[in-house]
Order: sequence, then structure tokens, then C-alpha cells
Amino acid sequence: MKLLKPSWVSHNGKPIFSVDIHPDGTKFATGGQGEDSGKVMIWNMAPVLREDDEKNENIPKMLCQMDNHLACVNCVRWSNNGLYLASGGDDKLVMVWKRAAFIGPSTVFGSSSKLANVEQWRCVTILRNHTGDVMDVAWSPHDVWLASCSVDNTIVIWNARKFPEMVTWLRGHTGLVKGLTWDPVGKYIASQADDHSLRVWRTVDWQMEANITKPFSECGGTTHVLRLSWSPDGQYLVSAHAMNNSGPTAQIVERDGWKTNMDFVGHRKAVTVVKFNPKIFKKKQKNGSAPKPGCPYCCCAVGSKDRSLSVWLTSLKRPLVVIHDLFDKSIMDISWTLTGLGMLVCSMDGTVAYLDFSLDELGDPLNEEEKNSIHQNIYGKSLAITSTEAQLSTTIIENPEMLKYQQERQNSAQANLGPGSAGPESSAPKLNSVMNGESLEDIRKNLLKKQVETRTADGRRRITPLCIAQLDTGDFSPALFNSAPILPSGSSMSNQLTPQLSSDSSPGQASSLGLRPSHDPMLTSPPPNSTAKGLEDNKDGLKTSLLLTSASKIEPMKALDSRFTERSKATPGVTAAISSIAGLTPLDRPKDSISALKDIKTKDDTSSDSEDKMASINKNLSFSKRKPETLMDGGEVVEKRKKGRPRKDKMAAPIAQPFTQIIPPAEREPSRVAAPPAPPAALKLPTPSIKKAFSLQVSMEPAVFLEVENEVSLVAGSKLSQLRCSRDGRDWNTLLPSSVVTAAGSSDVVAVACQDRMLSVFSSCGRRLLPAIQLPTPVSALHCTAHFVMALTAGATLSVWDVQKQKALVKNESLLTILSGADTTVSQSLLTQQGVPVIGLSNGKSYCFSSSLETWTLIADKGDSLVQCADFRSCLPTQDALVSPGPLAVMQGRNLNAGRLASRLSSTPHHLQQSMTMAFLENQLASALTLQSAQEYRYWLLIYARFLVNEGSEYRLRELCKELLGPVHKSAATAWEPTTLGLRKRELLREVLPVIVENLRFQRLFTEYQDQLELLRNK
Amino acid sequence: MAKVQVLNVAVLDNPSPFGNPFQFEITFECMEDLPEDLEWKIIYVGSAESEEYDQVLDSVLVGPVPAGRHMFVFQADAPNTGLIPESDAVGVTVVLITCTYRGQEFIRIGYYVNNEYTEPELRENPPIKPDYTQLQRNILASNPRVTRFHINWEGSAERMEDCENVDPTSNSKVPPSCLPGKAPPLGILPDNSMDCL
Repeated sequence: MKLLKPSWVSHNGKPIFSVDIHPDGTKFATGGQGEDSGKVMIWNMAPVLREDDEKNENIPKMLCQMDNHLACVNCVRWSNNGLYLASGGDDKLVMVWKRAAFIGPSTVFGSSSKLANVEQWRCVTILRNHTGDVMDVAWSPHDVWLASCSVDNTIVIWNARKFPEMVTWLRGHTGLVKGLTWDPVGKYIASQADDHSLRVWRTVDWQMEANITKPFSECGGTTHVLRLSWSPDGQYLVSAHAMNNSGPTAQIVERDGWKTNMDFVGHRKAVTVVKFNPKIFKKKQKNGSAPKPGCPYCCCAVGSKDRSLSVWLTSLKRPLVVIHDLFDKSIMDISWTLTGLGMLVCSMDGTVAYLDFSLDELGDPLNEEEKNSIHQNIYGKSLAITSTEAQLSTTIIENPEMLKYQQERQNSAQANLGPGSAGPESSAPKLNSVMNGESLEDIRKNLLKKQVETRTADGRRRITPLCIAQLDTGDFSPALFNSAPILPSGSSMSNQLTPQLSSDSSPGQASSLGLRPSHDPMLTSPPPNSTAKGLEDNKDGLKTSLLLTSASKIEPMKALDSRFTERSKATPGVTAAISSIAGLTPLDRPKDSISALKDIKTKDDTSSDSEDKMASINKNLSFSKRKPETLMDGGEVVEKRKKGRPRKDKMAAPIAQPFTQIIPPAEREPSRVAAPPAPPAALKLPTPSIKKAFSLQVSMEPAVFLEVENEVSLVAGSKLSQLRCSRDGRDWNTLLPSSVVTAAGSSDVVAVACQDRMLSVFSSCGRRLLPAIQLPTPVSALHCTAHFVMALTAGATLSVWDVQKQKALVKNESLLTILSGADTTVSQSLLTQQGVPVIGLSNGKSYCFSSSLETWTLIADKGDSLVQCADFRSCLPTQDALVSPGPLAVMQGRNLNAGRLASRLSSTPHHLQQSMTMAFLENQLASALTLQSAQEYRYWLLIYARFLVNEGSEYRLRELCKELLGPVHKSAATAWEPTTLGLRKRELLREVLPVIVENLRFQRLFTEYQDQLELLRNK
Repeated sequence: MAKVQVLNVAVLDNPSPFGNPFQFEITFECMEDLPEDLEWKIIYVGSAESEEYDQVLDSVLVGPVPAGRHMFVFQADAPNTGLIPESDAVGVTVVLITCTYRGQEFIRIGYYVNNEYTEPELRENPPIKPDYTQLQRNILASNPRVTRFHINWEGSAERMEDCENVDPTSNSKVPPSCLPGKAPPLGILPDNSMDCL
């Protein structure tokens, strides 16, 4: 065994709480305390493994550092596929990092070149749900789930395929949960907490399988972490801190019956971390000796608060090696390389140590095939599942229909991925390719001229920045970072250190782990610590002196230095003051900047074809293009520039669309336009004023136009008014004895209300359908839809008639009930295709009158906090994301956009948001039902079902299915209606079932209803 | 966590005659859509001795800022020479770029600026009254000094007062090369002081 403490792996002396080696063995991550934040750093493995690489200045040691965590980082873990890094910290957050594929090496802006980020890792998701420090995170086998545990006593299981979706949370611990480990078979997850317990949870139903307390009853909550570990063969679970006869141990828990008969004894203080070697070993075959059928065994490293590390083989009774005094403080985390021969250990003292073992010491690692056959023998199945639906590995699909649905889903998912995602390799960054972004250079050259600049109302300059990359797409690569300034060449100052990393940026290979014996700092155990330190000190000293010489060239000034760090107190007002001092009024500024622009222009001799190239690029960017000539014209330049974003947020657009495009039909009515904003009395609704003549279009398909001309002629002392209707080019007209106040029409009927409170209804051909109806008070609003006529009177009463059946649906119903409050008035009214009247009030509430219930029902409330917080976006159907523009959508209008705010309300705990969303969706469903809006009912029903499936609300889901299915056997007593709003319920159920398939937990439910539907169909 | 990270500032048109406008090409990244504009300012420090001579060369609103990576060129006129003390015209000073969100400054980027005569004769015998037409402005682009401040990104209700100083000199990785006091007093810098960087 060799041992090395790479002194350059450090968080500036701050504690390192976690370490994890990347699955490909080329890098590792550390997490811990930063300056005044949490810090995650990614390091190159090659300089750890090879001394040459350590000495080679061209091989970077630090690859990336991220200061984004607000507080200390307790855990960093690579996903099994190596694409993601998850980190959890005292800021209660779990962040998931992904390598930004499209950016080359760059410095952290403002840092010295020593701290160059060679790789760019970007936080792609922040997972918020914990209410306390996150202590440990763990990726499940095949990266299906990510688990995190916290001092809030809970464990959260996140859907690693659909961040930030939460699968469930595991409650039960009564103390701080400080460690997690997944069963390599995927059937369980185990957690250890300060409540003197180790719990095992099933992944099938996320219920507790076992609660092991006995070995922990004597434990005090004194360790920072309790990182437990599961053996690679799945047979043993080894806990962190346990006690046996008052001595600290690491308890071995057998999978078979969760027996606790064995433990690792010997550490003087509590065990903080246990980590199994990922490999299973078998006895090394000695040369010459006959091969013995040795039993395979596992290897396990144990780190303790007593600062020592022990490595055990399950085939030996005593530890393979114990290393004391490796660190000055407690060991915090251990990580093995995937080869099983290397191990990194980190400590609270801010250092890490690398241990390198030989095959002679550990044995021969079994290859994957042998490992799989072991699993096959024990569990009856191999773990080498590379299928995309790896979570299925734990659950047997019992129903061929279910399997069919699952396969269809997989196929469509793969089809959706398309050619762009040919695998992780294709998206892997190629440092060289991003360095020749010529087109971007062109853009940079012209950025000043091309950028959109406007003036705000108060005369200030406003620049719309050029969007050069969206966060999640890596298609357009900016290659400029850390590149030299472009304009004037030959500057003595621009000889920046351009990183020469691109050529050397593929260093350490996992395969070449073989370490040369001449590696100085690699010392055999136990290490003579002082020598190692001395060597490193020397190195440090050398580096320091080097840096000093280069840094002493900088000429700082005491008086100026303070300016760099002092926050300015200047307010926007100062600008104007200064500019007026400078003899320039703000209005003079544009001209000045134009003349400045001219200067630049004359300097830049861009050839015409590069100008063309620019134009095409700009088109692609949907960026407002401006020819250089307009620039030379001067004068109006600032005004000519277009406003608005350079690029629309693609995510937001399709969701926003349906709401913005809907124009409430009521707004097309003249009555709406003419209505004065404030009525004089509470129950007095505004009436439209009488105009000499007006016309309106009442129907688009067929096109029906109404024209009204009041007081056309005087016959025998009475004034006659004319109503003319043109329908598909055919006209009819009729005369009315009184002035027409308002008119409305549909494709079937036309209604007019006159000054004498008479309401007349005509057929589409001009035939009078009803004798004139006398209204109690003057009409306020009139609507026609299909064969329904609705009249809202100034006396705040509402009537709806079915002209076809010559029947009243709503009879002089008073709005008194809903017009409570002093200032409330009717702001919108409409009549649905089904003849349901809907009234929108100025207080943001919308009601419809349910004729069956004979009561007003609330269908929308803009002030409803449920609407604001409901988050059902994950449940929206993928293909047709558009809401059908039914009456519900019209009345809720912008309101629904507010639901999208939910993502911003990140502080809302998940369970609260879940309840709010559920309540909101149920409201929507009920409202759509009352409005008799079938399409909207179906739309919300499917969203609701998907939400129930995602959230695992089996109880509600079952009730829903039951209601849709109805009784299987006919009986006279049943009150079940086979249809709702004209939709066949069983057809709806048939649509819901594929949604249910998406959660395998409900496969029994699916099977149950699928079978019954089949049964009914065969009847 | 700051929603806006400045990724790079490229100093354009540098070195340049004193009267040329300042041009900074600023690249920044935003974690999520910002409901309000960012306000950027260029402040020219007229004299090291006193803040009194600071000039806000220009301030500009930048927006809308959707999530993503953005760049723009911030151009501002050269400082008003009438406001610079004559004794401070030649030599080293500082230009600052600050960015505020909802009225709170969250980043301050400082550059040393060296103003010197290009003509050897003028260098040897600088006129008592500075001749700004002959001065060349040289911004030490390779050594930006970045100070970041924690601010309240959600609303302007409360200002967070703690300051995260990520000035590279305060990182212990870098030796304390810029210790105050080591520096020569203002005005007697060697002429080639900027060149050796």
C-alpha cells in the first residue's frame, strides 16, 4: 500500500467534509467550507496518481470550483453515469451540477490565473424541500433516484430523471439523519440517524422494512456524519457509529433478517464513515500453487473520529491495515476508485489522503461477469441492466397490457430524443472546437453597433443584452472567455496568459493506475508524516516565491485599493448630475454617442461579405438587424432600434400563448365597451347609452353582421328603428317601435333590447321567434349563444332563455348574492355554448349560475392563493399543451399564468404545494363540470389524473376510476350516469388508464380497471 | 446565491487616446429571468486622494434579462478633464464598473488605469497643465479586481450588509503581493510600470 497526501487539494485550510471520485477515475470532487460560503471543487486525478503529472505545470490540478452553496457543503456525490454531481449543504439545498459542454477553459472572472476553471460545471437544478442542513446525498443504482437526508429528520427521494420532481419522502426518523446508502440490488435504501436507529426502507412502496436500534442505543449524537455503506454483493450493510460493550464499532447488518451479530471493533472513537470497495475480490492465485476455490469477499474502509482509518476484508478476522494519525482531525468521507485499488479520504482538518493498494494486498477483483453471476445466484437476476427504465428492475410487470404501454412509452421517449442526443459522448466538450468560434468573433466586433439600445421614459439608456447562450442548450458556443481583447492588436498589456490547457486537458486515464515505485511522496504505511510534510512545504515555498516575483510587478496604490472593495453609495440621480456638470444634458447624449459610433465605424474596416455573414447570423439570433447605413444617417438612431427581447424564452412561450390569445368574447360586445366603469348604486348595473346607429358582427362562422339605425323614420308620431342583419351576404331587416339600446346575436338567434325595456328575439332569417319580452329594468348586457339568450338588467337580475325549447333556464335571478361589498360591479358577462351564464366581477371573482343547483357557484377567483401556488406543469400533456379556449379559460384568463409563479415560490414546502395543487385541480374540475364545458373537463381531468399518478395518491385515484367506470353489473337502483357533459365516462377512463401506467406502483389498479373495461366491452 | 455572475469583461479599444470613450464588453450569466433591469455604471476615479473627484461616466440599464448568458458593450464617454485635479491627470488611477440590482450593488470590478504621454519628450518633461490630447490611457485589463457583495435578489426590502470579498488578493492562494504600503506613492511610478504586466 502506498499513501500520499496531495497538499494542493485544499479548501484554503477550511474543512473538507466530503470527497468522491468520478466513476471514470479522472477526477474527483471535494465539498466543504469556503471563504464565507460552501465550496465544491473538482480536481484532476492525474496529478494524484502520477508524480510527473503533478510536476507538469501544464496539467491542471484544480478543474473547477463552485462557490454557489450559501453554507458549508456536507456531501458531494457523482452520479453513476458520471454526468452529474450532486452536492448537499447547510443551506438546506441539494444542487445538481452538470458539465457545461460548450465552454472552454476560463478563469473565474477576477481571480488570478492560478485559479482557472478548466472545466465548467453548472448548477442545473436546485432541489429545495429540506428545512434543515442536508447531510448526505446518494444516487440510486442506475441513477433513477437521488436521495438526500437532512437534520430535519427526513429523507427525500428525488426523481433523478425529472428534477426537481420529488418521488416521496421517508419519514420516521426522530433525529438528525446523517447518512444514506442504497442497496446495490436496488431494493432498499438504508439511513442512519442520531435517533439511535438505522432504518431500511423498501423502494417498491417506500415503506420502512426494518428499524434497527439495539446496536445504537448507547450512542451519543457526537459525529458530524454517519455515512453507512452497503456491500457490493448486497449481503451486508455496515453502519457508522455503533456501540458494543461501551466500545465504538461499525455494526454489520445482514440482509438476511437484518441480523446484527458482527461488527468491526477497534476504533477508539465513533466511526464517522464506512465505505465498501465497489469490487468483489477473490484470493490472489499464487504462482505455482494450485488454484483454490476461494470464496469471494468484500473490502471495506472505516474512518473514525479518532483520526484513524482501517481497511477490512470480509475474509479476514482482523483489519488488513490500520493507519493512525493520518489527519489532525476526524475523518469525514472516503471514496474508492471504481477499479477498487485506490481510495481518497478526507478530513475535517482540510486535507485529503490517497491510498493505493496492490492486487497482492486486496486480491483479484472479480470482473463484471463474475460479479453478475454472484448476483444472479443470490437474487435470481443480474444487476447489469442497462435499460433506460432501470427502475423496472425492481418491479415485475404483471400485466402484458402494462408491458405494452411501457414499451410504447419507451419507444416514444426514444423517438423524442431524436438525433441530437446520440449519447453522452457527443455532448462531451471538445475544447478545441470551441476555440474557433469565428462567427462569435464577428459578433463581438460588431456588438456595439448591433446591440439594441433604447431610452426609458426618463431618458436613461437601456441596452438589451445579446443572448449568446441559453442556460440549458449548448448549441451556440461562446468561445471568448479569457481570450484577448480584440480591437487593437499589439497592445503591450494584452499579453494575457492564454491557457495552454487545451492540448493537455485529457490527462489521467483510469486504466493507467499503475504507479511507479519511484514516486517520492507515496510512502508505505505507516507514513513518516513529517517527511511528507517537509517535502510539501518545500514545494509550497518554491511556488510562493515564484508567485511573489510575478506578483511584485503589479504596482498597487494604497489609496486606490480601497476603491475596489467599497460599495458605492451613488444612486441613479448622481448620473444625471455628473453628466450635466460635464456640459451635456441627457438629451445631448445620443448625438454624442453617435459621433462616437461613427469613429468606431471608420476604424473598423469590415469587408462586405463579413457584413453579410453577420446579417445571417443575426437573423438566426432573431436579433433586430440594423444596416450600417442607418448608423451613418445619424439623428434618429436611438429611436429606430427595436424594443424587446432578442430571443423569446422558449419554455415560457407555449404556456403563455393560450392565455394571451384568448380574447373574452364579451369584450367584442358594444355593451361592454360602452359600459361606464363605475355604477352609481350598488345594485344598479350600468346600461349602454343609446346611439344613433351602430353595427356589430355577432358571428364569425357563418358571418353575421347586425346594423342598427335608430329613429329612421317617423310614422304617426312614433319613431321607428331599423335592425338590419346580413348573413352570408343575404340581408333581412325589420322595424322596431322603440330605439334599440343593444343587440346581440349568434349563428342561430338575434336579440335586441329596446329603450322601452322590450326584448325581441329573431331567428337567423329574421323571423320573430317570441313575442316581445318585457324586462323588469333596462337591459345592461345582452348575450346570445347558440339558441340561448341571456339578459342582464340594470336592476342586477339575470335571465336566460332557451329559444328553441321556449323555456326559461334562469328566471330573473338576482345578483345580490354575489354582488357583496361596496364597490363590486360586473366587469364581464358571458353565456356559454351550453347556455350557462357566467358573470365576472370587478373583485376578480367569477360566478356561474348553475340552473340544476339553482345557485351561484364560484368558478374563478383571481385572488385565490391556490391558483397562485398550484404547480401542475409537470402534469401538463406533452403534445397538446394548449388549453381549449372554453369558458373556464376565458374567465380565468391571465389568472392561470399565475400558477406558473409557483416555481418561484421555491420556499413553499413540497407537501404544502402538493395539497394546494390538488385543491386547485379539483376546483378546476368542478368548475368545468358546472360550466358544462366538456372539453375543459376532459383537459383538467387528465391533468388531475396525471397529478394523482405522479404524487401517488392512490385513494383519490381509485375513487376517480371507480366513478368513471360505474357499476359493472346493471341494476335498476343505480344512479350512475354513463356520460358526463356528453362525454362517455368509460371512454374517459380509457384515456386515464395510460396515464396510470406511468407509475408502476399502480399497476394493480391499472390491471383491475383494464380488466373491467374489457369485460364491459365484451358485454 | 447570486443570480447574476459576471463571466468576463473585455476591455476594448485599449490602450487608446485619453479622449476616447471607454468600452467594456461585458459577458454575464443569469440563473433565472430577472423581473427588473440591471443597472451598470462606469465610475472614473479622478484622484486617489478623495472620492470627491469620482465621476460617474455613465449609467445604463440592461434588460430584459432572461435566464442565460448575455453580452453587451458598455460605452461611456471619457472623463470630463475639468473635474480631474491637474496633479492627478498623469499616472495611475482606477476605473470601476459596478452593477446594481434593485438598487443594491452586487459586483464591483476595478481596473488600474495608467495615463501617460506617448511622446518621450513629454514623458521626460511633462507640462504643468496636462495636455490631454497627448495622453494615452492604458487600462490594466489583465488584472481586474472583482468584489462581490451579497444582496437580496428577491426584493429591495432589506439590504444584506455582509460582504463577500473575493478580491483575489484576499484569497490565501495568492501571496499578499499588493500589501498597502509596499506601493510607491502616487505619481512616482516608473514609466514602464504597466508594461511589465
